[in-house]
Amino acid sequence: MNPSKSSQPSAPVVIARGLSKSYPRGSVTVAALRNASFEVGPSEFVAIVGPSGSGKSTLLNLLGCMDAPTSGTLQLDGQDVSQLADSGRTRLRRDRLGFVFQHFGLVPTLSVAENVALPAFFARRSDPKRVDELLERVGLSSRRHHRPHELSGGEMQRAAIARALMNRPILLLADEPTGNLDSQTGSSILELFRELNADGLTLIVVTHNPSLASAAGRRLEIQDGVLISSTPGSPPKPHGPR
Amino acid sequence: MLRLALRNLLRRPLRLALTICGVALGTAVWMTLAGLGDGYRAGLRTELDRAGVQLMLVPLGCPYDAAARVLKGRTLETSLPASALDAVRSDPAVAVAAPMLIAAVPRPEENRTDLWVGLDEASRHLKPWWHMTAGRDWFSATNGAILGSEAALIELRAPGDALHSPELRQTFRVEGVLERSGTSDDSLFFIPLRTAQRLFAQDDRLTAIAIRLKDPAELRAVVQRLQQIPGAQVVTMTEMMGTFLRLLGTVRTLLMALAIVACAVGILGVLNTLLAAVVERTPELCLLRAVGASRTQMVFLVASESLLLAVAGTAAGVGIAGVGGHAIESLVKPFLPLAPTGTLLQLGPDRMTQCALAAVLGALVAAAYPAWCAARLPPALAAKTE
Repeated sequence: MNPSKSSQPSAPVVIARGLSKSYPRGSVTVAALRNASFEVGPSEFVAIVGPSGSGKSTLLNLLGCMDAPTSGTLQLDGQDVSQLADSGRTRLRRDRLGFVFQHFGLVPTLSVAENVALPAFFARRSDPKRVDELLERVGLSSRRHHRPHELSGGEMQRAAIARALMNRPILLLADEPTGNLDSQTGSSILELFRELNADGLTLIVVTHNPSLASAAGRRLEIQDGVLISSTPGSPPKPHGPR
Repeated sequence: MLRLALRNLLRRPLRLALTICGVALGTAVWMTLAGLGDGYRAGLRTELDRAGVQLMLVPLGCPYDAAARVLKGRTLETSLPASALDAVRSDPAVAVAAPMLIAAVPRPEENRTDLWVGLDEASRHLKPWWHMTAGRDWFSATNGAILGSEAALIELRAPGDALHSPELRQTFRVEGVLERSGTSDDSLFFIPLRTAQRLFAQDDRLTAIAIRLKDPAELRAVVQRLQQIPGAQVVTMTEMMGTFLRLLGTVRTLLMALAIVACAVGILGVLNTLLAAVVERTPELCLLRAVGASRTQMVFLVASESLLLAVAGTAAGVGIAGVGGHAIESLVKPFLPLAPTGTLLQLGPDRMTQCALAAVLGALVAAAYPAWCAARLPPALAAKTE
């Protein structure tokens, strides 16, 4: 599973330069992220860590094209996305990025398989084989017709990960993916992330979970909206053939 | 997209059912009132066409009221002298001049009023569509009577039976019974003109004279000539139709205003339901945006929900109009001027198509604001909300 579509395999997937984001709050402007500059290379596993309200999610939203920066530039897979209009950002989210949320974000009226197929549906494609392959990959083949409320937390998160991978993204973004899971289930999700990363997928995860943070190849620490350090994490565990 | 929209709607079955009821009610009211209007217009035209006349000579007074009363088989306060008939028949442009005398016979013990119409032989030329279910098609004796289908049913009489009228102190012999025509003839008692004039003490008097011309193009000239007859005035059927339709127009405007209010309530119901659904599902809609739904797709999603509501409501409304329309007709009909006999409600395919298109348009109008709200939701909220 090598989902990268980059024409230059060695070029960074993410290049952020002076990235800032401010929000108006009443009469004052709050700087949620200030002058962040960093790069993320292909097949990297990066954890963004920091205290609550430090700007981690803001940074993730910018990286996920869910929001536009106030200033600075952001390149994803060689494309400058900082000035993209909403339609361009939507296309990018749909075709080149995958998201995993803390609260799973599954549509309750759709089955697991239909939830997984959503990004393809919005791209006006139908790829049932890919859905089967992903469900097999995350171990939910037997649950494909179940509704989200019939799944455990871990299964819901696995379904959400499968959905994030549906359109073969170049970058998987996860916001506290183990935040709503018990430690054992969280470990299984972490294991799945490791496998995906080992298969070549670039991962950026916002987390408070020390295990998840230490599993990442690199940690970006953020405090009061400022990126204060970039430190290497534990080396990834080796995987056997899959 | 439709499947997703349908599942979204089915989350709240009670709200869905109530919204569909609102749309169905609006549609049913619209369909019924429009169908009644169509039926009224068609029925009136049929009655006037079937009368087979271009002109009506009536006593002085309100000509339209007089002509309408004659057409509907009702009595007049005044009458024409029999000499008017000679004057009309002497006009070279007149093909048929059919005199008639109409009299009302109250039947208080049966809570109804019978209408007796005296006709002479000339009337047969104006009623070629008269068909008998049984018996003769004209009077063979001065005490002969021909009954309309409903009149025969009420009196339980068949050809050959005697029909005694205590009010007129006269016994008639039923000579024929008319087939049901859907016109006012169905409820009338027809007798020879001379007999009617004698029984109602109206010797040499007439209620009206129905006139058919040899050449309808001569209408204007004939009207001018016939206006000279003393104590009489002429009404053309074209004028009558126009007057009736103008009267109908007023009633129709009021009824359509009612229908518009009903439809507006339906549209507001749909808007309210969609808006509530968008607010309720904000996290989920943000999530759809986050995983790649475009603003256009969000608009389509909400519009699809609105269209589904409209289609279900319209289908139910058409069903209600079909089943309950006749009940509404019976309520509305007494207020319609000179309502034709028979059923008025016409729910044709044209009207249904028009209704379906209006429903689609209404659905799109109702969806516009909720769809705009849904399309504007920021995808970033997907990460913040459960």
